[in-house]
Amino acid sequence: MTSAAAMRMEWTKLRTVPSTAWSIVALIALTVATGSLLMWSLGTTHCASHCEQDMPQLSLSGVYLAQLAIVVLAALAITSEYDTMMIRTTLAARPRRLTVLGAKAAVVTATVLVTSAIAVVATFVVGRGIPVDGYLPLSLADEATRRAYFGTVAYLGLIALFSVGVGALVRHTAGAITTMIALLYVAPIIAQLVSDERWRHRIEKYAPMSSGLAIQATTHLDRLPIRPWYGLGVLAAYAAAALLLGAVAFLVRDA
Amino acid sequence: MATTIEVRDLRKRYGRTLAVDRLSFTVGAGRVTGFVGPNGAGKSTTMRMILGLDAPDGGAALVGGRRYAALRTPLCEVGALLDAGAIHPSRRARDHLLWMAHSNGIPRRRVDTVLAMVGLESAARRRGGGFSLGMRQRLGIAAALLGDPPVLMFDEPVNGLDPEGIHWMRGLLRRLADEGRVVFVSSHLMSELEGSADHLIVIGRGRLIADTSVAQLLAAASLDLVVLRTVQRSEAMTALASHGATVAAIDRETVTVRGLPADRIAALLTERALPFTELAPHRASLEEAYMDLTRDAVEFSAPDTPDASPVATEA
Amino acid sequence: MSQPTGRSGVEQTNRSTADQTDRDAADQTDRDAADRTDRGTESGYRDAQPSYRTTVRNPRDGFGHLLRAEWTKLRSVRSSVRCLLATILLTVLVTPLISASSSTNANEAPHFTDQFTFVHQPMAGDGTVVARVSSQLNSQEWARAGLMIKQNTTAGSPYAAIMVTPRHGVRLQANFDTDIPGPDLGAPRWLRLTRSGAVITGSESTDGTTWHAVGTVRVGALAPTAEIGMFVASPPVLRVTKTSGGSSTSLVLSLGAATFDHVTIQPNAPQQFPGWSELMLNGGAGTKGGPPANVPTDGDGPFTAGDGPFTVHGAGDVAGYGIPSFPVGDDDIVVNSLSGVQLGLLAVIALGVLFAAGEYKTGMIRTTFAATPRRRRVLGAKAIVVGVAVFVAGLVASLTAFYIAQPVLRRNGYQPPAYPHPTLADGTVLRAVVGTALFLAVLAVFSLSVGVILKRSARAIALVVGLVLVPQIVASLVPSLGVANWINRLTPTAGLAIQHTRPRFDYAIAPWGGFAVLCGYAAVALVVAIWLVRRRDA
Repeated sequence: MTSAAAMRMEWTKLRTVPSTAWSIVALIALTVATGSLLMWSLGTTHCASHCEQDMPQLSLSGVYLAQLAIVVLAALAITSEYDTMMIRTTLAARPRRLTVLGAKAAVVTATVLVTSAIAVVATFVVGRGIPVDGYLPLSLADEATRRAYFGTVAYLGLIALFSVGVGALVRHTAGAITTMIALLYVAPIIAQLVSDERWRHRIEKYAPMSSGLAIQATTHLDRLPIRPWYGLGVLAAYAAAALLLGAVAFLVRDA
Repeated sequence: MATTIEVRDLRKRYGRTLAVDRLSFTVGAGRVTGFVGPNGAGKSTTMRMILGLDAPDGGAALVGGRRYAALRTPLCEVGALLDAGAIHPSRRARDHLLWMAHSNGIPRRRVDTVLAMVGLESAARRRGGGFSLGMRQRLGIAAALLGDPPVLMFDEPVNGLDPEGIHWMRGLLRRLADEGRVVFVSSHLMSELEGSADHLIVIGRGRLIADTSVAQLLAAASLDLVVLRTVQRSEAMTALASHGATVAAIDRETVTVRGLPADRIAALLTERALPFTELAPHRASLEEAYMDLTRDAVEFSAPDTPDASPVATEA
Repeated sequence: MSQPTGRSGVEQTNRSTADQTDRDAADQTDRDAADRTDRGTESGYRDAQPSYRTTVRNPRDGFGHLLRAEWTKLRSVRSSVRCLLATILLTVLVTPLISASSSTNANEAPHFTDQFTFVHQPMAGDGTVVARVSSQLNSQEWARAGLMIKQNTTAGSPYAAIMVTPRHGVRLQANFDTDIPGPDLGAPRWLRLTRSGAVITGSESTDGTTWHAVGTVRVGALAPTAEIGMFVASPPVLRVTKTSGGSSTSLVLSLGAATFDHVTIQPNAPQQFPGWSELMLNGGAGTKGGPPANVPTDGDGPFTAGDGPFTVHGAGDVAGYGIPSFPVGDDDIVVNSLSGVQLGLLAVIALGVLFAAGEYKTGMIRTTFAATPRRRRVLGAKAIVVGVAVFVAGLVASLTAFYIAQPVLRRNGYQPPAYPHPTLADGTVLRAVVGTALFLAVLAVFSLSVGVILKRSARAIALVVGLVLVPQIVASLVPSLGVANWINRLTPTAGLAIQHTRPRFDYAIAPWGGFAVLCGYAAVALVVAIWLVRRRDA
């Protein structure tokens, strides 16, 4: 009962700040636009004999950009309260801090899951409409494709949880967002620069973003550094660790 | 050059709200001028326009006869405390003043001087984030005094000060005015200005309501108001009202009477054999005078009440 | 409403008590007060309020003061100092990881390629061979057709050769390491090779009568009887295949062809020549797959028809380190050692954004613009201060990273001759190291401007990261190399091109060109920011 009230409180706070609406719009727009543009840019000239491309993965590659919106949304849900000192009001209204943090995480994640589902469905629908001669068209009949689309929603939800955890830990808006971005993007970029294949796989296997996004792969599964659901598990572990540390910090520190 | 703040026909609109509406007044030197009005009356907006921070939609705000933006070393001409919270939480108090000093080529030792003036020497090395509201106010005042300017503007300066701080602030305002500076202090509570302001500019809904000296305002408000204490309150009220007085009940035994002089009231009551225990001309507090003024402004929002026409006090 | 005046007496006593804490100021104050009183009496106004004048002696608003003010702001906030340190630390700390996980076996492969078609016969002692290359197929920019003298027909044996190329003119080359460029002219062209002991002279001519020496080379171990004749080679073409998550390269055979006529051999000592025989040599690096298939043999050889014309086909290359067409190590090890900046730039973005958005968040921007109403100058000073501070930190970071990475890379096989040691004396290496700091400085200015435009740190950081960091990742996913290259050209990421020290197939833009793209972004953002702050209420 109390947690339901806490969630209602958090939901009211979330929907009444304009940055939430912006993030939601950005999340959907970036996912759909990037994926569609990349599919639209596909040419067949470079194909040697037959064109081979992981089409579901390509259509979903907008999440690389779109997850920035989630990082901002989820981190701000926590850190903006510290910026404005509203956290004192919040904790005065709800002294049970764990309930507060849990409600926040739940509301943010639910919002992100719903938005992501819309974004992913829209990507699929738009992607179906893009003519891709010579490539396999998108189809939900394929089990791997279904996993890629469903898994992407789950991936984005986990990113939201991860960001809430980091936000609770760091408390400072710019610090939390920069930390999250570093955790997500730096490893894949370093992996690109590493010439040793074994090292590259090692990095991609344990970095939160590249392991989590293995869920999007539908071809050459044997060449993936980590199996799709296991990869999502790695990301879930990161999110859980961040939430745990964030919760401890949230409980121990003065508001 | 006369040291003044001069606001001429100033207008500012935010979306559909007219925040400042054809506001004109002049603030002279050598006295403390209170800038009063209810919350949202447009005081802070006006001050921001005087400082060139917000661009007016019409009219002009001049400091010493010049637009603020034309000032080259503004900190030495106008000192302002707008928002005491506007300090970076992790910057030390001394560094906050130091960058301001650098920006106007003010000598470094001036920083220590103003810190001492506001009593923050011991906190100079502490970071702004750990300051209480009162300390922030003092730091903001130190910043305003940094360039030793002839014109000073303080937006709600006693906010968050303890009684001792309020006392100190009143002394400071008085001293600064006595030095021949323009001291322009805003407040939404008239009581805060009681005893420190010499002159008042009252605004409501972005319009000028009064531009008057404190003494005149009090005299006007106290005029023909009489306090009457009687056990037969309702009979007394009826009697007085029938002779054209405006009567208001304050508590079970007290009424205020307006429109009849005290001796006439005494005669009327004696005539009807109504006993009274007290009958005295009332001396209004500044707060009451102000409430009177602003109530009128809010109820009628009359553009042509005599008070609304700006009265230039001094060139 | 006249104003109560004549508080001068009170005024002076109060003033001195107020300012007692500072003797100098008090002195100044007294002087000023006296000054004002004097003026008051002089002009005879006892009633007029004397105007107060500041006691601060000659305040100034120079740009230098503004820079000092902004620098004080920057250094006095913990988060900015931390960001500067983080720029250095992140860049430097990640460097050993990148270096340690990169390795090469480029030096294990043979240091030369000796793969071409040779139409030859032995010549004893000194002598001259002359021929005209009447035409050459432009099969590859470094395709070769010309005359050669070679120890024997074993791959890797010493040689000297004069040749024409489709794009690089006449060259005299020897022993897989010597390359002397001649005139930038191709076929048809007369070529001449003269042996005098171990000294070989190469000449070229337009008409076969007027000869110009291209150069002289010494082929030390040349036997008394060496093979002489015509040769044709055409190095393979690099083909790039884009795969998801990266791109791979493969070498594709190219087939060269040339026609020779007026072929004459003039030995110093009279001798009997056995006639031409054709041979496809196949040795050295890149020839593991056996002799190139599909190279047509030209006639049934031996070539009998006097002085030609002979048409010769050939594939492969005669080259080694020191000869331009020979592929040196593929990795750009300078980029490798400076890649830590990809992590460090996050701190720079945070610093730049916070330096602007922080003022909006706290409301301090009003104090700033009240202190300096000329807002354009404020923004200019901010940009210079943050740019210079980041440049210095960036230079420390890139120099440290460069020197940390070198021994690690050397241990992992990046050694001469495939990978010459990079030094700062080399202009391109210096450009990369200093350019890394420049990249960060301009990125800081860009971030600052975005911070001013958006006012909020969260959005601004996300936007800049979305423009700088994410496109690189997206580009690597794009199936088409063209689209990937355009992403790398048009986003601020292009600025990282300034780290490039050698041409590479996947480099989308030239070093300074890429840097100019980033500067363009920063300039546009700064102009918009200036336009906005002058227009916007603070």
